[in-house]
Amino acid sequence: MIGDPLFDAESIAGRVAAIGEAISRDYAGETPLMIGLLAAAATFMADLARAVTIPCQLDFIAVNKCYDGDGITLEKDAAIPVEGRHVILVDDTVDTGLTLQYVVKRLLERGPASLAVCTLLDRPHRRIADVEIKYRAFEVPDVFVVGYGLDYLGRYRELPALYAHGSWPA
Amino acid sequence: MATSRAPFAHSSEAELARLFDFYRIPWQYEPRSFPIVWNEQGRPVEFFTPDFYLPEYDLYIEVTVAKPVRNTRKNRKLRLMRSHHPSVNVKLFTRRDVERVFSRLRRAS
Repeated sequence: MIGDPLFDAESIAGRVAAIGEAISRDYAGETPLMIGLLAAAATFMADLARAVTIPCQLDFIAVNKCYDGDGITLEKDAAIPVEGRHVILVDDTVDTGLTLQYVVKRLLERGPASLAVCTLLDRPHRRIADVEIKYRAFEVPDVFVVGYGLDYLGRYRELPALYAHGSWPA
Repeated sequence: MATSRAPFAHSSEAELARLFDFYRIPWQYEPRSFPIVWNEQGRPVEFFTPDFYLPEYDLYIEVTVAKPVRNTRKNRKLRLMRSHHPSVNVKLFTRRDVERVFSRLRRAS
């Protein structure tokens, strides 16, 4: 179901290094708090953290996206207080932007000094919530992407590159 | 917030309403019709009524369930809409778009 990579490991490493450099420059003299959205952003966040050359702190949050429930909620919250911090929210894919906006709102309620969004993939085709993305590694067309932390029904997260899957989960 | 019990024309609209409810986004169903064709006397004779309005984003969403090759009529209306009302934001969602949004939710659940 997957063929040649959309973006191979070398391309990903290049983009991660460039974003790491940009973050190091933009936040020079600060200790930003990088918050990753579990689980798909974990791989990207781990590489990004090592590409940043300034001190930073890492944390993770998770959202409950089971839509048969009572609506979106934070399933796992950040352990490090956000108030007064320069926060970089690290996402794997921005599609409609609705999940990202939900998380951004929850974090802004806590009074961070600033909040920027960094995403591995930007898929703008279905964008509804126009959340500002400060750092993006790749823009992708309307394809389902797996690998480098992104899964299809739990598979392919371990792959070192990004691939277009032949179908979307039913 | 509206509820998912509005009289939707088809299931994709109902699904999209459920998505908005899931994200707690206020929405309105077909709240406004826009004139897109006028007769020689200047009276509007054809209108476009987007399915949803999302006040939070000042965005209208039109859902189409037709296959792309059969979307000629809707595309014409959208083209006229954008031409006569350029300041109004309208986004077209296909049945496939709706299915793909939900596939991501199910995947994560």
